Amino acid sequence: MLQVFFSSSVSKLGVALLIVLLAFSIYALVAFPPDYGKLVWNNPKAWENYPKSAPPSWVNFFTQSKLFEHKILETREPVVFRAPDGTIKKLYYFDLDYDTDEFPKFFSMSLRDVRYWKSPPIIALKLLRPDGKAVELTSFIVSSPREGEKPPYLRYGEEPFILKIDSDVNVWRSISSFLKESYGLSFSPSEIGRNPERFIFGSPIEGNFSSPLKGRYRFEVSVTAYDDRDSVGDISLILGGSVYGLLGTDVIGRDIAIGVLLGFPTSLFIGIITSVIVTLIGCLLGIIGGYFGGKIDEITQRTSDIVYNLPLLPLTIFLIFLMGSSIWNIVLLLIIFGWPGLTIVTRSITLQLKEAQYIEAAKSFGSSPWRIIFRHMLPQVMPFIVAQMIFYVPTFILLEAALSFLGLGDPSLPTWGQMLELGFRNGAIYLGLWWWIIPPGVMIVLTAFTFVLIALGMEPVVNPRLRTG
Amino acid sequence: MGLARTLAIRAVNLILVLLLVLFLVVVIIGATGTSDKILMSIVRQEVSTYRQAISRTITDPEALEKAVETYRQELIKAYGLDKPWYTRIGDMFRRIIFLDLGVSKSLQTFSGSNKVVDLIMERLPNTILLVTTATVLSFIIGLLVGVKLATAIGSKLDRALTYFSAISYALPTWWTGIIFILIFYFYLRIFPPGGMYSIPPPEDALARFLDLLWHVTLPIIVLVLATVGSNIYVTRTVVMNIAQEDFVLAARAKGLPERIVRWRYIARVAAPPILTQLILGLAGSIGGAILTETVFGWPGMGLLFYQAIISGDEALILGLVYVFTLVYVIARFVLEIFYVMLDPRVRI
Repeated sequence: MLQVFFSSSVSKLGVALLIVLLAFSIYALVAFPPDYGKLVWNNPKAWENYPKSAPPSWVNFFTQSKLFEHKILETREPVVFRAPDGTIKKLYYFDLDYDTDEFPKFFSMSLRDVRYWKSPPIIALKLLRPDGKAVELTSFIVSSPREGEKPPYLRYGEEPFILKIDSDVNVWRSISSFLKESYGLSFSPSEIGRNPERFIFGSPIEGNFSSPLKGRYRFEVSVTAYDDRDSVGDISLILGGSVYGLLGTDVIGRDIAIGVLLGFPTSLFIGIITSVIVTLIGCLLGIIGGYFGGKIDEITQRTSDIVYNLPLLPLTIFLIFLMGSSIWNIVLLLIIFGWPGLTIVTRSITLQLKEAQYIEAAKSFGSSPWRIIFRHMLPQVMPFIVAQMIFYVPTFILLEAALSFLGLGDPSLPTWGQMLELGFRNGAIYLGLWWWIIPPGVMIVLTAFTFVLIALGMEPVVNPRLRTG
Repeated sequence: MGLARTLAIRAVNLILVLLLVLFLVVVIIGATGTSDKILMSIVRQEVSTYRQAISRTITDPEALEKAVETYRQELIKAYGLDKPWYTRIGDMFRRIIFLDLGVSKSLQTFSGSNKVVDLIMERLPNTILLVTTATVLSFIIGLLVGVKLATAIGSKLDRALTYFSAISYALPTWWTGIIFILIFYFYLRIFPPGGMYSIPPPEDALARFLDLLWHVTLPIIVLVLATVGSNIYVTRTVVMNIAQEDFVLAARAKGLPERIVRWRYIARVAAPPILTQLILGLAGSIGGAILTETVFGWPGMGLLFYQAIISGDEALILGLVYVFTLVYVIARFVLEIFYVMLDPRVRI
């Protein structure tokens, strides 16, 4: 049987794709905590440091002028100096290789979990430019202990402190004096304030800073502390770009690549679990009804006839609207509307099989009905049932995606349908934000397609007429 | 008489299905308190009309409030809102059947009415136009290509079709629509992004028709693409199975021309199961219409459904669920008339 299945290239491709889908799902489940959707994905605050509606960074391969790729420079181990007076100076270095033709959109520094015991540390940011000139951009002191507060004093613990370097008047002043000293150029702080990135990352050639100075930049964040136990959690520098990552970002700034990745487990889960339950219920009712007949048969047949003859989507939408859109409600409704099709078919197969001579023979030996069903009938129907089960998976995956697209998806889980819904509602098609629309859709198609291929590969197993050679 | 009797039994069955669905819907909205909400909004609407009417005759604000409050209490009694929901099942049944569901929260017809019944009736013809055209087109293409392929099982074209029908099955209609808009509107600018007519619509009848054709092309292609794959595939498989039957072999052995064998011997027998596929696909077409209309801003019931969900409009959703079920039941009945005509065996 397996040999027949694997003899076609359709099934081989299907199984290969399935392995890829499962690998992505497992990775998504391992790499992200289960409440990531609620806490991070659907929390706009978590995406503040990301560019909004930015295309993927690889568009740079196809464009003439290189766009600046969004950068978040993370903490490294600091270099520690101890002064004789007991102060400790920690230096954090961040390197940036700058080779694009565009200035960053914004520039900020993010600080988290600063802890001190005696007096508040001083934090300063210095920049070493590729031309060897250095500029002290800013420095500030972490807020002092409040009255009645006991050490250690924790600052920026709940939410990171974000210092917007480009909108800080002190930064403009220090840039102004830096330009005067290093290049002999005079720009007033308010002139610099209109676009500080142009001066921070600009080339002084011809004195107008109209294009970036390419090369290696080194940022130095120094933390001057007065106690050995003082510590700083995270320091990062954010350079706003107009392209981001593998798949770009959406209107909130969310990384679409993460969204696409997180869609795998949800989509597969809904498709597979619903399909398995629907097949179990559908086949069991079909076989029982077909074999035993009588009242049970009458009831299941009537019910399945009615449910099978309903317009599925409008009713599902209506019920989800009333019940609330949790993933369990969606699965439940898909099961309620999904089982009858299989019951009808299994029943008619069972009716045929019941008349077969070997069943008659088994009966005459005194086999119990259950033994006949499980030992003699089920193995006959099994390939068909499995093929049907696989064929149902894409149906349910597509239905869930459609519900999500209509705004009825489970809000605590990121799904491809919901990403597309948000994109559609924000006019992504009319603005041409293709990176927001194509990847989630391609994933839906690919996932559904995988199961269709496997189901097609099953067909020669079920229907020997289709076997070739 | 066999034909009429068979059809009458089918009609009764379908009406029973419709009534059963309505009954369940009434019970569900009753038990969840949604029917109370719908009736209360009807009451509020009537009270505010009443207030406006009497405010001209009663000038004393206190007396006015009192009169309005009395009227409100009367209405609540009249609608049975002072009694538990199950006492109103019959009334709710009647309301749904005649779409007497009050007004929409936020939507209006083009003529400015916000009554649920007017909204649905204005959109209904547009949906029927779209879905019928797409279904008929998809059926014809499916039949022509499927019959052709059945004689060439295993050929390159056949294998390409297997892949195509698999992709077509896996393609969500709405996403195809989105991609089509991106390509044909955003990049190529040869089709409109949506809607039914340009704004403002052309005056001249012919220009108006052409404008409609221009707007309907993309949605129709999308709907046909979604269903044509499985139509072709089913036709091909059914026809292939029949082509291996003995009577077909006998017909060929008699030396009948291939054309006659194909259309009179094979297609005649294959028609009922193919029609069955069409009947089974009907529910899918209605679902597809909801999504396609939403994507293309086609002013039919599907777009209305989406707008109702987004604005949480219970009365409108309820009315639409009913009309969708009704349209489905009627369409099924029409197809079953064809079926009974094509296949004498199902006549009683």
